[in-house]
Amino acid sequence: MLKVCHLYPDLLNLYGDRGNVIAFVQRCRWRGIPVEVLEVNVEQPVNFADIDFLFLGGGSDREQNLMADDLLKRKDSLKEAIENGLVALAICGGYQMLGRYYLTHEGQRIPGLGILDLYTRAGHKRLIGNIVIEMTIDGEPVKVVGFENHSGQTFIGNLNPLGRVLAGFGNNGQDSLEGVRYKNVFCSYLHGPLLPKNYRLTDLLISLALQRRGLHAELKPLNNDLEEAAVKAMVDRLL
Amino acid sequence: MNIRLMMAVLAAKFASFISRRFGWKGSSLPGVVARKIYPGTLRDLAGQARRGIIMVTGTNGKTTTNNMIANVIEAGGFRVVINQEGANLITGVTAAFIKHADWLGRMRFDYALLEVDEASFPRVVKEVKPQFVVVNNFFRDQLDRYGELDKTVQLVRDALKTLPDVHLVLNTDDPLVAQLQTTTGHPASFFGLAPHQRPDNGARQTREARFCPRCGKELHYDTYQYSQLGSYACEDCGFQRPTPEVEAALVETAGTALRCQVRYPAGQVQLAIHTQGFYNLYNALAAFTVGYLVGIEPRRILKGLLRYKPAIGRMETFRYNGKPAVLNLVKNPTGYNEGIATLLNIPGTKNVFMAVNDNDADGRDISWLWDVDFEYLADNHRDIEVFVCSGLRGEEMALRLKYAGVPLEKITVVRELAAAIKEVLEGPGESTYLYSTYTALWPTQKILSGLAVKEDLHAEGLSSLS
Repeated sequence: MLKVCHLYPDLLNLYGDRGNVIAFVQRCRWRGIPVEVLEVNVEQPVNFADIDFLFLGGGSDREQNLMADDLLKRKDSLKEAIENGLVALAICGGYQMLGRYYLTHEGQRIPGLGILDLYTRAGHKRLIGNIVIEMTIDGEPVKVVGFENHSGQTFIGNLNPLGRVLAGFGNNGQDSLEGVRYKNVFCSYLHGPLLPKNYRLTDLLISLALQRRGLHAELKPLNNDLEEAAVKAMVDRLL
Repeated sequence: MNIRLMMAVLAAKFASFISRRFGWKGSSLPGVVARKIYPGTLRDLAGQARRGIIMVTGTNGKTTTNNMIANVIEAGGFRVVINQEGANLITGVTAAFIKHADWLGRMRFDYALLEVDEASFPRVVKEVKPQFVVVNNFFRDQLDRYGELDKTVQLVRDALKTLPDVHLVLNTDDPLVAQLQTTTGHPASFFGLAPHQRPDNGARQTREARFCPRCGKELHYDTYQYSQLGSYACEDCGFQRPTPEVEAALVETAGTALRCQVRYPAGQVQLAIHTQGFYNLYNALAAFTVGYLVGIEPRRILKGLLRYKPAIGRMETFRYNGKPAVLNLVKNPTGYNEGIATLLNIPGTKNVFMAVNDNDADGRDISWLWDVDFEYLADNHRDIEVFVCSGLRGEEMALRLKYAGVPLEKITVVRELAAAIKEVLEGPGESTYLYSTYTALWPTQKILSGLAVKEDLHAEGLSSLS
């Protein structure tokens, strides 16, 4: 049984991000892997050590402020779980929160969880549009598509990016990098949502979660025709 | 006589003639031209209203509500100016007046009925002072265009505050709307639905207002109508659903029509509209309230509403080989959820068509499809024979259905609209439901009109006036 934790689904539910949880769960179920979803909202308990896949999305400024205090209280246990290989996906606001701080236009530093050594600063132009990145999965280049919509510009220092931008802006519109990967934590600005179309990434997350439980991580192949058609539609348009 | 206004109107009318001549669809071009020549065009033309200006804003149902208000006001014997569907930015609003003005910029009308885009609302009310503003609902909509919902609500609220004298007509069931009375300080009339009117249950939908718009604490709901509409109260600051002046109960569906009892300060009547979709009751109640406020006899209001014909893609009904085909515009999760609920309430087997485009006017970001409760549709897929997905992002639509749990063998992707529409109409279902995003709607409607016969709902007749 894989345990999926969707953090703050009530607050961080912009841009159809729940589609990421839907995709992870469905691709497990279609293979007969039992999975259970825990929706954890503000002030509800969760033990990250029990979780196999954690999803943290983005929300409006107001909603992010409502959850930030709660998340900061969980910082130590989350950090420990991540260092122990917790498989996690954080999108947009969730991605920024895992970093050290968010620097506002006024020069104020809003502290993040500081689990990842990266920071975000407010940009002057919103980075909006379709995006294609290339990432490496099982040694092969894989094109990943989505839609980004962020004004924060993230700088990841020495961390590994999730991929390289082929079309679009990515982390900050400057260094052609998109997202970050640290241990089993994957962060990205890609909405769309990210996982349904980009099934190779979804399957990678599932394999990692199974491996970590010491379970058989070889995944049964599925029919991916629609996923590939949806990716191809955007790759053909943008590249 | 204002020479600049005359020149602006003349040039605009010429531009309109040219654009029609060349088959351009820009209904706002005359507005753009006139405003370039004389920025006071809109203010001067709107100022000629003998009785007043009525505006409709909010997320869903602006066009329908505005058209229903037009029917009501006309039934009261007044002359109206109304802006065409979609032309709800400042240029489109300007164009609506130009169309009705003579060559000298003179007009004779009692009321101007204007649907105004939420983001354009602040600009429009700077030039046109409405006597009544109707706000129906606020839902998340095209985030890449409007930004987050909080900001849209704030925009409308701040613009309302700048108006010295206006009467608000508000949906009491939407807390984001109802709060506008106290937060703007304007007098308001509320309309709403009595609890438990809904045949199905929309309990799983994405909701916007989990939190009190006044104090930010969690709102407590007794019942939901759909999305965040319902009977709510904040236990912290005391904000709660205001008791409506106009309230509907005993809602029933009669074929493709809706009927309900309406209680208003002077009595009770039975109201009927020839259209599907539970949400359309709210639009009708808004129009009823406006009619009542401007002093039209209820008997005439009801007559006007009964005469309402759905605008393009608002549950617009056709007939193909004797079977009904219903076209519906979908723009955001709540609208789509309501479209699905309507389909599932109609008995019999169906063919379903879903067109998704991602042009600017659709919203380039289509991730909102994942906030639509297609799972609810998938759970009830037995009555649906085929799902034909089309449009620029038809593949993505198909993918959404797959992950919602619709069996793959029921899903086909046909990129090209005409072929897709043909295929769905030929499906084995007893009726066809077509859902389309904004820029796919016009071509879909055109293709459908070529293949199927537009249904005249009034042939059925409904003798429900009391």
